[in-house]
Amino acid sequence: MTTTAPTAFNRLLAPLVSPPIFDFWAAKLSPTLSWQRVLARVVARRTEAEGAVTLELQANRQFSGFAPGQHVNVTAEVNGRSVTRSYSFTGIEAAKGRISLTIKQVTGGKLSTQLCQHTEMGDVLELSAAFGDMALPAAPQPLLLLAAGSGITPMMSFVRALAARGMPSSCTLIYWAKTRQEICFAAELKTLAAEHSNFTLHLALTRQQAAGAYEIAGRASAELLNALAPELQATATYACGPSDFVQSLAGLVGERAYSFAAEAFTPAARPMAATGTVRVTLAASQRVLELPAGQPLLTALEAQGITPPSGCRMGICNTCACGKLSGTSQNLNTGSTSFEPESALRICISAATSDLVLDL
Amino acid sequence: MSNKQNRPLSTQEQDQFGAELDALRVRTTADIGAVDARYIRRVVKAVRYTEVLGRGLLYCWFLPPLWLLGAVLLGISKILDNMELGHNVIHGQYDFMRDPHLNGKTFEWDIVGTSENWRTSHNFKHHTYTNVRGMDADIGYGLLRLFPEQRWRPFYLLQPLYALLLAVYFQWGVAIQELELGKVFTGKKSKEEFKKEFAPLGKKIRRQLLKDYLFFPLLGGPLFLPILCGNLIANGIRNLWTYTIIFCGHFTADAEVFPKASIINESRGHWYLRQLRGSSNLKGGKLLHIMSGNLSHQIEHHFFPDIPARRYAALSVEVREICARYGQHYNVGSLTSQFSQVLWRIFRHAFPSRMAGIPTLSAA
Repeated sequence: MTTTAPTAFNRLLAPLVSPPIFDFWAAKLSPTLSWQRVLARVVARRTEAEGAVTLELQANRQFSGFAPGQHVNVTAEVNGRSVTRSYSFTGIEAAKGRISLTIKQVTGGKLSTQLCQHTEMGDVLELSAAFGDMALPAAPQPLLLLAAGSGITPMMSFVRALAARGMPSSCTLIYWAKTRQEICFAAELKTLAAEHSNFTLHLALTRQQAAGAYEIAGRASAELLNALAPELQATATYACGPSDFVQSLAGLVGERAYSFAAEAFTPAARPMAATGTVRVTLAASQRVLELPAGQPLLTALEAQGITPPSGCRMGICNTCACGKLSGTSQNLNTGSTSFEPESALRICISAATSDLVLDL
Repeated sequence: MSNKQNRPLSTQEQDQFGAELDALRVRTTADIGAVDARYIRRVVKAVRYTEVLGRGLLYCWFLPPLWLLGAVLLGISKILDNMELGHNVIHGQYDFMRDPHLNGKTFEWDIVGTSENWRTSHNFKHHTYTNVRGMDADIGYGLLRLFPEQRWRPFYLLQPLYALLLAVYFQWGVAIQELELGKVFTGKKSKEEFKKEFAPLGKKIRRQLLKDYLFFPLLGGPLFLPILCGNLIANGIRNLWTYTIIFCGHFTADAEVFPKASIINESRGHWYLRQLRGSSNLKGGKLLHIMSGNLSHQIEHHFFPDIPARRYAALSVEVREICARYGQHYNVGSLTSQFSQVLWRIFRHAFPSRMAGIPTLSAA
């Protein structure tokens, strides 16, 4: 899906090579060999916690590396369709192209179910280039890492990166989970906390009593944060978790901390707007528009003076088809709703039913 | 010549006819998934392996039957690439997979015509304005008079010859269709405009010619000529076959053409009806369907151009039943029967001819 900058080798041979034909025969030699696509093979899998699986991947040479705190789009085939979701890297790049991802299975989640239940050793997944701006400070500085649920994943990448450097600054991790069975990386985190005196670990349980080492009980609150992280003004603070968690922390520490970087994930909310307006982002031309919901996107765009290529205006010729990067759309001919990104959305017969991003 | 019985439909009946076909579309699209993905990947596999096998056998010049088999296999590979793979993928039939190599907007095929031009001339113009005079350039490809509605000129007297040339060089006919050379000659299109439009096509032509007639023959060293000839034969086989299939799709005796006025404010039901009246199917086995890219189900293809073509055979059962209920002729015949009707049109309308009556889709 995503391609990287061509290598000198690729540039030299490009006039002679058709990428689909190259990829077809290359896959016979090695399943992850590709002209320009980033493909990765599953080389290990293990259950990380209740309902969470860790996949170790070996990416091909098209993968250009990542920094701790970044994420990647992972694509796998589910019922003949490529499904893409973003996951944070949970480790550091131990060897070239070696990646670790931890996936929590979401009820009804297409890709998480595929990855947790059906993906096996040797399977090939497609990756994007790494992206995301959340990064560790350049110089050592006291750190406070706040994670809830699968928000642990980028934090784990930070912790492992710091541990690999001998924990150069003090670091406190508060990791909220419903139960201790859902805590990922528990053994590794406890070992690191025992080995490094300046790494402080708190495993906060919201639906169980605190019992074991490092465990505390309760949700994120001003008292709890004051007790565990008193010197905020000198501390670079990071938070990752569901959006309400991140919002509440932004209120609790955002203003007081030296810096506050956060990333929120929201379990696929499916707002359906049949009326009113939606925000449509045209990614390629970098425009943002307010368009009426429920109306064919093509006519709505044309009303704003934007004229994407179009043909039959009845959904058969595919001329107006463009990529939908995110958002919910409705096919006005069939009435069916699509929550997934699509490679070819026919905008003459599709209406936006949520904010969406088009590759136009 | 025509023996069909078509009941003119009231506006309301046309709407119902359209609604039934739309419902059939919804039922079918809901079922599209892994089987269709597996199928098209098998077609890709067949294209790749027949190509390698065909090109490999072309080196067996010392065993002429094997060399000939190589040329035929390469021809088959090119036919599959052109029809069951290329034509159908470019329609967006497999966009649901989100596979970048099977994307309708970017797929490129192994013929001199660019898929970009094809998307305009075929996907948009031909499929939207099927058999509408002056709008669907596929009617006679600007070269042939196949319907009495087209004005006769002495030029057409030799059209059996043009038709033969078009068949042999069909990929070139398709390649230049969107350039509308007629407009260049009459001065309606400027030289600059033409140059700009020709540039991408020129690049594609160069690539195709270098591949088939220089690169692979050179790999054969002393076998340069036999390999070049093998490629020529393979391209020829593909040209003749695609020409035959495509002409059978819209130019049989019962196929109709329509005036521009017929599509003003056209309803969906009327559009379906026009697709039906302008298209004709081929009766045959699975092999014929695959080798024709399922254009043997031209009617189903024109109703549902974006549904994976492997489903047309199953769809045809219901389509036929719906057509029967609305008193509409379902044009189907053997390849021999349909193609001889095409030949009849080519010969008959080389000479002046008149319409038997004005076809109408709608009841008064």
